[in-house]
Amino acid sequence: MKHSSYLAAFVLCSTALTQPAYAQSQSITVGWYGGNWGDAFRACVAEPFTKATGISVSAEIGTSTVTLSKLQQQKGSPTIDVAWMDGGISELALAADVVDNLDAGAISNLSNALPESVYKSGSTTYAVSTGYYSLGLTYNTKEVKEAPTSWNDLWKKEFEDTVTIPSPSNSAGVPFIMFLSQIWSVPEGDLSETFKKIKDLKAALFFDSSGAATNAFQSGEAVIGAHFNVGAWDMADKGLPIGFVVPKEGAWATDARLHLVKGTSKKEAAQKFINQALTPESSACLAEKLYLGPSVKGVQVKADVARKLPWGEKGSVKDLKLFDWVNINEQRSKIVDTWNREIARK
Amino acid sequence: MSTTARRVSLLVGLPSLFFLAFFLAPMTVVALASLTDASGNLTFVNYARILLDQYHWDVLWVTFRIGAITTIACVLIGYPLAWYLVRIVDWRPWRRVCVILLIVPLFTSNIVRSFGWMVLLGRNGLVNDSLQTLGLIERPIRFIGIELGIVIGLVYILLPFIVLAVGNSVADVDPSLEQASADLGARPATTFWTVTFPLCLPGLMAGAVMVFMLAVSAYVTPALLSGGRITVFSMLIFQQYSSVFDFNYGGALSITMLVLTLVLVATAGRVGATKGA
Repeated sequence: MKHSSYLAAFVLCSTALTQPAYAQSQSITVGWYGGNWGDAFRACVAEPFTKATGISVSAEIGTSTVTLSKLQQQKGSPTIDVAWMDGGISELALAADVVDNLDAGAISNLSNALPESVYKSGSTTYAVSTGYYSLGLTYNTKEVKEAPTSWNDLWKKEFEDTVTIPSPSNSAGVPFIMFLSQIWSVPEGDLSETFKKIKDLKAALFFDSSGAATNAFQSGEAVIGAHFNVGAWDMADKGLPIGFVVPKEGAWATDARLHLVKGTSKKEAAQKFINQALTPESSACLAEKLYLGPSVKGVQVKADVARKLPWGEKGSVKDLKLFDWVNINEQRSKIVDTWNREIARK
Repeated sequence: MSTTARRVSLLVGLPSLFFLAFFLAPMTVVALASLTDASGNLTFVNYARILLDQYHWDVLWVTFRIGAITTIACVLIGYPLAWYLVRIVDWRPWRRVCVILLIVPLFTSNIVRSFGWMVLLGRNGLVNDSLQTLGLIERPIRFIGIELGIVIGLVYILLPFIVLAVGNSVADVDPSLEQASADLGARPATTFWTVTFPLCLPGLMAGAVMVFMLAVSAYVTPALLSGGRITVFSMLIFQQYSSVFDFNYGGALSITMLVLTLVLVATAGRVGATKGA
């Protein structure tokens, strides 16, 4: 008797407390990355979205892989409504059946996006890009007087022991090996020639995280190497003597993509969020804050921002080497294994 | 009586539940994954792939060697340090300062501290700069990408564990035993080796086991300070989970590592016990 009256009081209280709050404001949960990426997503997309719709956004911070594993565990009753995941992981999310079709009727700005930014599998649009970033040649402008022009410059004698490139533990590691194979015309079936050349490279370090690459350039451990345009220009903006170029062979690139989570109970709000991300304003804002190459047509940015975009000063999305991730994912295990045996071993 | 029983079961039950939910359950998931293939059928292929391949044994050897060297270095530095703190420092405030200095780094993340070592040990880092200024070396020594660099990083991070473990056991040694030894004519060195040191052994072993376990399972420090040129076993596990997404093979790697470490520690414990007795 006593218990049940407590319970009744508790239920009354909690309904009294939550009911009006629920009626007043709706909220969605968006999965995005940490650090300056998350800050930019909040400022460029979430804040204008909340302003326009009154729906608040709570962030679920994690790298793409972590977000994917959360989505896999929550399959059926997800707590994340919209998720940012990088190219590569996006395809795995599709295969894991955790992302929903982006309906052009409900997300009208989908027609704003560049054709190559809308990712389809059959009749399903499973992802849309919100901006590109590339892995280009990054160098210390104090120690490297003449800007490098080719990836092959990394093998020059003067750069011995001061080079850095990603290891396969980094998301760019495996695609970078395939990129090098492509520019050297090494057949995809047998990458032994590529590994032989990497073995000859006198590297200071192979980086796992882009933070480690930034650290290496900052401390002078690395003088030249591969780094993301986002991280390289971030250092330059902080006053470090760092330059970034897209070499003549081009630069491998990928993108940060938005996904509608399958089974979300807040589908309509989630679609509106994605719609906001595809406005020219949000896209330009991401370009200014992160130097992400806009995935939305006709976005104009300031000249100083334009030269820091992933395709370099005069390029466009056509200059980026965007690989087929399904193909990369198939080769992943073999490349990682060969790297471990050939390179990451004294 | 019944309230006591209820209290006891609550006291025991809550930690057990916690242990079940956050330790045993995930461990079971990993173990099950290691025994199945991608489509969920029972198989030992993942283990065969590890154990029948010399490469994995090479990596294990590197991992355990780094763990052992780290442990020895921690013991050699940690024991005298603990002795100094407990027996030599008289002035209490100074002892407190020393203990705080020892513990404070534990409040900072491993990542930050390893980044710190990357800067210190780098080509233009403080260590190389000082050695060059002193005229001891002409060209910068490469620390990052060799085992020494990883060991330096690990010893720095793990030293507090051994100092605290040894410090407690040094403090527990009854001084009257040492006085009795001296009274009976033993020289200080003899007293130390036959009375004090054996009494500290359990603490030293506990600290050493803790350091060894943490050193062989460390990921962040070796990953950063190896510069991607040395592979330890935890890096192979991380790769499978973060980059290759083969949770079955990754699970088998994890269980292999766990079992081998436990076997090593149990063996060491047995050896230590016979010595101490």
